[in-house]
Amino acid sequence: MAGITDLGVGIGWRSEIDLTVERLPGVDFVEVVAENLHIGHLPESVTLLLERGVPVLPHAVSLSLGGADPVDLHRVEHLGKIAEAVGAPMVSDHVCFVRAGGLDSGHLMPVPRTKDALDVLVANVKLAQENLPVPLALENVAALLEWPDGELTEGQFLAELVERTDCWLLVDVANLYANARNIGTDPERFLDEIPLERLAYVHVAGGEQHGDVYHDTHAHAVLPEVLGVLDELCSRVRPPGVLLERDDNYPSDTEIASELAAIRAVVDKYRD
Amino acid sequence: MATPTTAQVARLSAEEAGYLTAGPGRAAETVLARLIDVGAVRVSRDGHVTAVLQHDYQATTSVEARILSYARTPVQFDTIVRSTANCTEMAALHQYLRDRGLVQRPRRGNPVWGLYLAVAFLLVLLSFSAPVVLLGVPVAVAIALWQRGRKAVTAAGKEALRQVTATDRVHAVALHGFCGKINGRPVGELFDLSQSIVRMLPLKQSRKRRSSSDSAGGCGSSCSSCGSGCGSSSCASSSSCSSSGSSCSSGSSCGSGCGGGGGGD
Repeated sequence: MAGITDLGVGIGWRSEIDLTVERLPGVDFVEVVAENLHIGHLPESVTLLLERGVPVLPHAVSLSLGGADPVDLHRVEHLGKIAEAVGAPMVSDHVCFVRAGGLDSGHLMPVPRTKDALDVLVANVKLAQENLPVPLALENVAALLEWPDGELTEGQFLAELVERTDCWLLVDVANLYANARNIGTDPERFLDEIPLERLAYVHVAGGEQHGDVYHDTHAHAVLPEVLGVLDELCSRVRPPGVLLERDDNYPSDTEIASELAAIRAVVDKYRD
Repeated sequence: MATPTTAQVARLSAEEAGYLTAGPGRAAETVLARLIDVGAVRVSRDGHVTAVLQHDYQATTSVEARILSYARTPVQFDTIVRSTANCTEMAALHQYLRDRGLVQRPRRGNPVWGLYLAVAFLLVLLSFSAPVVLLGVPVAVAIALWQRGRKAVTAAGKEALRQVTATDRVHAVALHGFCGKINGRPVGELFDLSQSIVRMLPLKQSRKRRSSSDSAGGCGSSCSSCGSGCGSSSCASSSSCSSSGSSCSSGSSCGSGCGGGGGGD
């Protein structure tokens, strides 16, 4: 896939920190939440970044490709148009469902890891791909529960998804860490099982422990343990890009810059 | 009231200076300016103000704490200024300034002037039967005008304000507002705020326009225009404009003088 072989280190663009993102040194690319943007009315900051040559990657949260409901092609179309508007080499969403039976959960719900659920996901992903102008990458989510009667590990599930759809993978190491804490997923096994050659880029984010549960809040500092999972990934493959997600409780520019620097240090550790 | 000597002049914080210059809205702008200055809040391109997560910053005033509380979630620039101007902490600041004798009851909030006007009207009616009472009419009218024309900022407040200069960008906001200008440069620019953001500020239009035009068209351009813009209340007659010479272009003395005329709540 031309154009994303070396994205570098980036940050999720959010309107609250638009000027910060513009000012931060060493932001090689940004990701925008597709649902927050409107065709023909891109935020001034995003336009500025594009003019500077900073790649902008649309990231969707509402396609609900893991759901049993028919894919909402209007949402797919919107994602595609945003991709065209920002000249993105690819788009992404999650391996999850957010709607069922006419209800919207407001959360990225994990998909049952069964063969039947995989068939549904594959069909939906193929339909989305047919209606998108650029390749699609799919991200592993953080889950607080596992559906019963799972037939595949998360790694196996994603590997088969890639094999059957030729999609790309967006690996969120913070979600891997959260799942390890909350439901006992083994991050190393996950990394062993997924086709790393199909890695599009990586997400890193912060979270917080509440009682017995670790919450992937995107509103707290990135834990060293999350960087440890990134380190583990980087020891196996050179990720085309690594992106810091921060969605709330935005710290100072200095603190954000230091988080980006910490990410870059891990990535650079395995560079030639 | 005797003019206070320098030793007796009250020292003003930036937010107090903002209050005396143009009322609670300006004080709110000033506190917001300070929070931007220290990096405790950030403003986005579309004018959303958000508190910056900081573990080592403590609000220095109750108004600051209020703004930080408002900005836990993104708030529009004008909304946060308006809300802060009307918050209880701002009322407490007003009371504090009153207690120090720097402001007094706002002129239009004082109903006494209306009473004297009613008396004058009554005397006119009585004069049809007893013309001599007509002599009391100008006295009643004069008292009414005196009451109505009472400045919100006291002489002591004006004197204290004269000591304030725009030594930094926070004080520039206090004296001129985000919409104003200093040395011909929009004050908002000192904070990297676009004009589209600072123009969101509604405030009290009459006061705001007067204040910002003073600093924009007056102090920014020439001393004489500052004087005419402020009227005779303070700037034109004060020595600060002329004694500082270039102080008009720095905006400080003109700002204080002009603001003193427009102050209140």
